[in-house]
Amino acid sequence: MLTSPAAKLMGLLLTAALALATGLASLALGATEIAPAVLLKAFLAPDPSSTQHLIVWTERLPRAAIAALVGASLAVAGALMQTLTRNALAAPSILGINAGAMCFVVLGSTLFAIRSPLGLAWVAFLGALVAALLVALLGRERGGGISPVRVVLAGVAVTALFVSLAQGLLIIDQERFESLLLWLAGSVAGRELEMMTPLLPFFLFAAGVCLFLVRQLNLLVLDEEVVRGLGQRTGRVKLLAGAAVIVLAGGAVALAGMIGFVGLIVPHMVRALFGRDHRWVLPGCALLGAGLLLGADTLARFVIPPQEVPVGVMTALLGTPFFLHLARRRSLAP
Amino acid sequence: MGLSLSCRRFIVLALPVVCSLWLPANAGATRSVEHALGEARLEGSPERIVTLYQGATDSALALGLAPVGVIESWLERPMYRYLRNSLPPGVRYLGLETQPDLEAVAGLAPDLIVGVRYRHAGVYPLLSRIAPTVIADTAHDFEAMLGLMGEATGRERQAEALLGAWRERVQDFRCRVSARLGDAWPQSVSVVSFRGDHVRLYYDGFARRILDQLGFRRPEGQEGAGWGVKLVSRESLPAMEADAIFVFMRDDPAVAELHREWTAHPLWQSLGAVERGQVYQVDPVVWSMGAGILAANRLLDELYVHYGLQDSSDRRDTDSADPPSGQDSNNQERDSRVAERQGDERLHGEGETC
Repeated sequence: MLTSPAAKLMGLLLTAALALATGLASLALGATEIAPAVLLKAFLAPDPSSTQHLIVWTERLPRAAIAALVGASLAVAGALMQTLTRNALAAPSILGINAGAMCFVVLGSTLFAIRSPLGLAWVAFLGALVAALLVALLGRERGGGISPVRVVLAGVAVTALFVSLAQGLLIIDQERFESLLLWLAGSVAGRELEMMTPLLPFFLFAAGVCLFLVRQLNLLVLDEEVVRGLGQRTGRVKLLAGAAVIVLAGGAVALAGMIGFVGLIVPHMVRALFGRDHRWVLPGCALLGAGLLLGADTLARFVIPPQEVPVGVMTALLGTPFFLHLARRRSLAP
Repeated sequence: MGLSLSCRRFIVLALPVVCSLWLPANAGATRSVEHALGEARLEGSPERIVTLYQGATDSALALGLAPVGVIESWLERPMYRYLRNSLPPGVRYLGLETQPDLEAVAGLAPDLIVGVRYRHAGVYPLLSRIAPTVIADTAHDFEAMLGLMGEATGRERQAEALLGAWRERVQDFRCRVSARLGDAWPQSVSVVSFRGDHVRLYYDGFARRILDQLGFRRPEGQEGAGWGVKLVSRESLPAMEADAIFVFMRDDPAVAELHREWTAHPLWQSLGAVERGQVYQVDPVVWSMGAGILAANRLLDELYVHYGLQDSSDRRDTDSADPPSGQDSNNQERDSRVAERQGDERLHGEGETC
């Protein structure tokens, strides 16, 4: 673990460099390889008649931007959830938040023919909220707190509920199912920038909440009694952080579907490097989450070319062993 | 042990004779039909036929049979327009090809069930307890399907006639297209289907095998195993490169949107086939769903039109104003005419030799 602020800053810069490197790889690598010089030229002097420049601008850039945004959002949402629930296993994909958003998007697009990115995002937020409330309700202990084991079990149950509801809807509407298949598996391929731009205000809101709450979040890690003793009102902090989780996870699902495990793995990696201070953890999560998803999406293009593996499958391959490792640890504290 | 061996041989030879003596005179001979998953024993000519995949329905109607139950089509539900009018009025729809309603099948008390291995291998034991069941090996080979259907229903001669007419049309097309294209023949062609969120590039399948028969080549890189690939990113567009591209898709807003996005992309615009104007929109039902001899003939009709060739079969001559696909009427009439016509006199078109 890095201890001095200088070392932490260095670590953060290195993480940023990693995200930048995977971002560049995501722009340069794929079915058509684009040389670094061409890539540079595509940005400095874009030439609409060059196919390579067009690939960069119309395919790779939107895809990389969405992968970075989704990866960062899921990782930060995971970190917030682990703090809020004081549970190392908490993450949007584990506690059913992603499944809730997914189910509502399926519901919206099959029954109500919602197509616009903004419309789907609102539906996803609603689904994430419903799932979060259900899990919080089911995960409560008699005393009033949230039990770490109960909440994970509640997450499993809620995930199963929403996944089977969505499957039921899609079996009835097979044609819609066809067009949602890749999205269901988690994919950032073939996305347009226009799908992302209407959602940016929401992501900015979540970023603002994180900046604003960063000190209070540090207190939440402490024991509830101690926090009360310090005169902090945790209710408002939890509510705002919860809203940020809903927006981050719901928005990520609306954009890229079911991408699991990023929100679980990344916060743990970041805490191993930077400790528990949210002033370091949150930016670290954003950068490493973006880097991880960019890297996974680039790898996904080379497993079975010219086909692509959905990036959700790649993150699941990385994440499952990690989840088992965490679950085997004795303590569930983050 | 020589004696016992000859004894056994006698019994084996005599058994069928003895058996046939026991049978009542009007039951007809018991035939045994070999298929992909075993053997079916059939008596006489089955009357109550159930077809559980699209190619079987097409083949049954081509042979002039009237199935009592069929599975639903994938498009133009409940049945493709090109087959709808030739189905008997009381036909029972048995659900999807992937999960036919077995209770409804049993309720029809069929005397023949026709399925295909990749869909029905799992339910074959149940199906064969309901009625004698024959299973086609693959949905990609419509000729084998027609042969199997003919054998199972005692209409081998009609099936052979249809296949003979088909082979003649294939020869005719090959001859005419090579005369028309000259050095540009044989052409390499891609078969592409736009879906809601991806694009399929076919390496194998019903259409691909017909194109092979007709002498079209597969583009480089498309010789892979399996049916093909799903492309999700427009930068994979160059994988479609060929002399000509056949494109099909269903009528759906999401599909139309994806098609618009892909075909507007510069990588699509720079494909050789696109630059030369050799991209043909074809009927999804005919190219990927019908999967029987009737669909195959329609596919060939479309090719004659797209390559500007004179179709020497009388299918075109009777109603030449018809577009190659999409109409409901007169189809069956025309299709069944092909079955009867075996030796057709050849017209002299653009290629003197054809």
